[in-house]
Amino acid sequence: MAKINPNNSNASMKKKKKKSSTKKLLSAPNAKAMIAKPAKLNPFETIWSRRKFDILGKKRKGEEKRVGLARSRGIEKRKGTLLKEYEQSNKSSVFVDKRIGEQNDALGEFDKAVLRFQRERQLKLKSKKSKFNLSDGEEDDSAMEGGGSFSARDDFDDEILSDDDGDADGTERKSSIMKQVNAYNPHDPLETSSMEREEKKHKSKKEVMEEIISKSKHFKAEKAVQKEEDEQFMERLDKDFTSLLQSEVLLSLTQPNKMNALTAHVNKSNSNETTKKDELCATPSKETLKQEQPDAYDKLVREMVLDMRARPSDRTKTPEEIAQEERERLERLEDERQKRMLATDDSGDEGNADFQGVDKLSDRKLRSISGDDLGDSFFNEEPGSKKGWVDEIFERKDAENLESESSSEDSESGEYESDQDDGSDENFHESQKTLSLEGWEQSDDDKLSTDFEEDEDEEEEIEEVEEEEGKRVVDGLVKLKDKTTREVRNEREDLLNTERMKTSVEKHPPRKEALPFVIEAPSTLAEFCSLLNNRSDAEIVEAINRIRACNAIRLAAENRKKMQVFYGVLLQYFAVLANEKPLNFKLLNLLVKPLMEMNVDTPYFAAICARQRLLRIRTQFCVDIKNPDKSCWPSLKTLFLLRLWSMIFPCSDFRHVVMTPAILLMCEYLMRCPIKSGRDIAMGSFLCSMVLSVIKQSHKFCPEPIIFLQTLLMSASGSKPGSYQHSQFYQLMELKTLKPWLQLQSLVSDIEALDFLTVMDMPEDSPFFGSDNFRTSVLVSVIEILRGFATIYEGFNSFPEIFLPISTLLHKLAKQENMPNALQNNIKDVAQLIENKAGEHHMLRQPLQMRRQKPVPIKQLVPKFEENYVKGRDYDPDRERSEKKKLKKLLKQEAKGAARELRKDNSFIYENKSMLSNLDSWEGAGKEGNEAVRFCHFPFLGAVPSIYFSSLPSTGCIFIRPSGEVGC
Amino acid sequence: MVRPYKVKALKRKKREEEEEYDEEEEMKEEENEQETAVAKSGAEGEEEEAKRRAEEAVDELPGIPIVPSNASAGSGVIFILERASLEVAKVGKTYQLLNSDDHVNFLLKHGKDPKNYRPDIAFQAILTILDSRLNKAGKLRALYVKTEKGVLFEIKPFARIPRTFKRFSGLILQLLQKLSVNASGKREKLLRVIKNPVTRYLPLNSRKIGLSYSAEKMVRIHDYVKAANSDVNLVFVVGTMAHGKIDTDYTDDFISVSGYPLSAAYCLGMICNGLEQKWNIL
Repeated sequence: MAKINPNNSNASMKKKKKKSSTKKLLSAPNAKAMIAKPAKLNPFETIWSRRKFDILGKKRKGEEKRVGLARSRGIEKRKGTLLKEYEQSNKSSVFVDKRIGEQNDALGEFDKAVLRFQRERQLKLKSKKSKFNLSDGEEDDSAMEGGGSFSARDDFDDEILSDDDGDADGTERKSSIMKQVNAYNPHDPLETSSMEREEKKHKSKKEVMEEIISKSKHFKAEKAVQKEEDEQFMERLDKDFTSLLQSEVLLSLTQPNKMNALTAHVNKSNSNETTKKDELCATPSKETLKQEQPDAYDKLVREMVLDMRARPSDRTKTPEEIAQEERERLERLEDERQKRMLATDDSGDEGNADFQGVDKLSDRKLRSISGDDLGDSFFNEEPGSKKGWVDEIFERKDAENLESESSSEDSESGEYESDQDDGSDENFHESQKTLSLEGWEQSDDDKLSTDFEEDEDEEEEIEEVEEEEGKRVVDGLVKLKDKTTREVRNEREDLLNTERMKTSVEKHPPRKEALPFVIEAPSTLAEFCSLLNNRSDAEIVEAINRIRACNAIRLAAENRKKMQVFYGVLLQYFAVLANEKPLNFKLLNLLVKPLMEMNVDTPYFAAICARQRLLRIRTQFCVDIKNPDKSCWPSLKTLFLLRLWSMIFPCSDFRHVVMTPAILLMCEYLMRCPIKSGRDIAMGSFLCSMVLSVIKQSHKFCPEPIIFLQTLLMSASGSKPGSYQHSQFYQLMELKTLKPWLQLQSLVSDIEALDFLTVMDMPEDSPFFGSDNFRTSVLVSVIEILRGFATIYEGFNSFPEIFLPISTLLHKLAKQENMPNALQNNIKDVAQLIENKAGEHHMLRQPLQMRRQKPVPIKQLVPKFEENYVKGRDYDPDRERSEKKKLKKLLKQEAKGAARELRKDNSFIYENKSMLSNLDSWEGAGKEGNEAVRFCHFPFLGAVPSIYFSSLPSTGCIFIRPSGEVGC
Repeated sequence: MVRPYKVKALKRKKREEEEEYDEEEEMKEEENEQETAVAKSGAEGEEEEAKRRAEEAVDELPGIPIVPSNASAGSGVIFILERASLEVAKVGKTYQLLNSDDHVNFLLKHGKDPKNYRPDIAFQAILTILDSRLNKAGKLRALYVKTEKGVLFEIKPFARIPRTFKRFSGLILQLLQKLSVNASGKREKLLRVIKNPVTRYLPLNSRKIGLSYSAEKMVRIHDYVKAANSDVNLVFVVGTMAHGKIDTDYTDDFISVSGYPLSAAYCLGMICNGLEQKWNIL
């Protein structure tokens, strides 16, 4: 074991050395050395290792390794270390060659001599220096020598040496100190000063005193000069300060009152100063004054510190900024002006116009959010177009006045119903379709509503929350209002009649009385009616606008209540107007706008109003339907109200407080009301078109209108219900006594659009309902409505089931002989449309599958790999483990290396031994002088040729003398 | 858990034997050893696969069979990509997969033609095969790739090859240096270098079809595939090199599927489509 350890360390050392040596070998000088003696090349050293795989760009270590060469190097190294150790192993003493320069091979004989000479000289010098030292020269020499041979020395020597060295140094230092000590007095070093004084003692006391006095005088004079300078400086400062004060620069920096104090102070201080100067001249006791003056000043300074600091003024503004500011200022002024205007609306027409503008401006934000529930584009119009809207109405009025008035109104109502998507849903009035005002409003709505729907909903919620606290109030109010309305309803007719009577009696000259600018919101219908008595339509709208302006909710908190009441009143007024017999359709149309706008302010209240009304209408309907004699179809008023609500409230909501019951009600009408006359048919088709317009966006499915339309078609085709196979359908239709209402009797030359209002105005048993003209026009409208429904429901999976029976009906209808061509084409178109879409659906339908599942793809696994993978690097994420692994690897490598080295060492030593023994035996043979034997023995050496061929030429350590002796 | 020791023991034995050989032989032997080891692990991999399949079957057991499970039964298809130019080189200090875009100067410096270094072809081809419905339906038996250098490696059909070329080259780099790539989180080899020739891995009843633009026999691939016997395993050998043609001696048939020279990926796509139609995979 003892042997292995050094060997082991040796081995590692050797390895390192080998590495470095191989590296060296690769470099130029060694190559040169090899070239220098090419004759001595060992053929085994020329063997290079081969490359295994060819990897482009990779420089491989193995490529440059020369196995033979490395081996011979290793052997040589062993010869220098291991062999020597081995040779020494049995010896007790060591011969150390300490001759100067003998270890260094590079030195020549002459150099060595020079070295020796140098050493001798040095020794001599040293011996002189250390004259008193006890150590002998020889040891000193060795101390000086140091260096390479040092390690080779005995331990004993070493110790002494180092000791000696340290001693020598120490003693030297000490001695120098002692010298110093000896030189000085054996007293404290502090007394040196006294010693100096003693030196000066030969000066007389008088002289000293004089010196001191002169010095003190000198100091005093200096002090005085200093003081004078200070004072002068202070004066100058004061002067500067006063001038500064007067120059008003400070004025801008400080507050004016402070400034006054400052100036006062300055004045005072000035006077003070003058007095002070006097005093200064007179009495030297200026100490008190001096103290006082800084006090005053300090006070001032402190005050100034407390003052507002001078701030950097605003930088010079750029023209843009100035313009911007100006604009803002103007805007602010404008706002204020408008606020003022809102508060007291006393500026007449102009003010009103302004107010409208303001209203629009201020409302715009609100409306842009919750614009949808109004269902129309009123609020998104440009200011110009807003006016244009009114103008347009007037223009239209004029244009329509050329025709009969009733027809104009009817046309408008037709447009009310008309669907904007294809514009041809209802051909009530084709001539005006393009100009249709409602038309573009609604189309606008279509675009906007989708965007704003959500916002609007949220807004509504917010508003509702806002109104939570006002809800109770509102509830109470509603009850109150209901009461009032009931009363009003009871009294209404009388009242209206009386009023009408009054107006007729009194015969107010029209437009004599100007509308007041400030109008309190009327709380009952009577009040309102009296207010609007005998006014023109425009004036009524104006009045409503003014009421709204004066009682805007933003102006006062209680205005909300007022406006809510007023909203109810307005709604009532609307209903009343709708019920009037000579229908003022224009005014109704005009009323829609304020109602919508007010709905924004009081959405909650509006919803409550609508619900209450719906409830009443429904109860009324329930009562009516029990009476078989009375027509239970809705009145014109109900239709108008439904239409109004469908415009005010969002129809596309999934569930809406007003619209859901409204739709249900409409459907119920369609379902339950029996058809008794042509008028009922017209009413029914109108309701159908209304349902269509309501559900156009949401694509809700309402079976009632479709069934109703189907019934109509069936009545047109004249088929008997019993002959049809859809029995459950007829169960639903039990109430409708199916007569061939619409069966055409004769060919109609031209198709006229149906005017709803005229139809409504007609009595039930009017001959018009029996005419073929009426039938064709109803059929046209029915077909168009059907087309609308078909387009809306095209996405439904059950589309074929819903519409295919209708298409067969249509085909049947088209085949009738009296059918006009245009109508026939229309019918065929719609039938074709239905069939096409049903075909699509049929094509897309797939047979029912049991537990249909997608095929499951094979599970994929993600490969684990590293970016920039480098072979040999450990990619273990666990740091500790990888470290451990690394260490283990290192250990294993080292162990392997050590084992390899040991093995090589052993074989080397064994070879040496065997060689020596061989030599011995050979020598023994040689003594006999047998040359032949000697030669024969030589092949022994050949057994280890790699060693000997390599070692022989380079070192000459083992050589064969001509005499036959072998030596080392 | 038993396996590593076994393999190690084997290796050790081999090594002991080898030490007696000459140096020249040693190298070959080392290769052999490696390959045999790999082959052994491959055999075991197949075992694992069988086990996995059994597990899957167990997974699918409850309920009505989802798809007509003819995936496991009957024939499958094997693809062999020949002459893939996947070569690793030491560029600068790092190892990289050579491609003609990034290593033009390097290749020119070493006297190589940059236009022959097109690992993206192999990338596309592999993606086409592994992304096909064929593979999703479990019809792909195996995918072998042989590089220009003669290194043969296998890609398991359920390996998810990285979608970007950069990551793909990282994967191949690791594969060619480490000789195998495991699945992340599982001790399963997804890619591994195997011993040549490829024929030793092909099933007995396999029909090896080489594809080449220059082949005299031009076929309509759908019909050709449909005409093939259903119990025969089809092996398609497609070249993924930029220029030249495959020269394999083990192919039974040599066909071209179009009058136009097609890219490897598209050609493979056509084959996959034909097979999907044949096996009615939607």
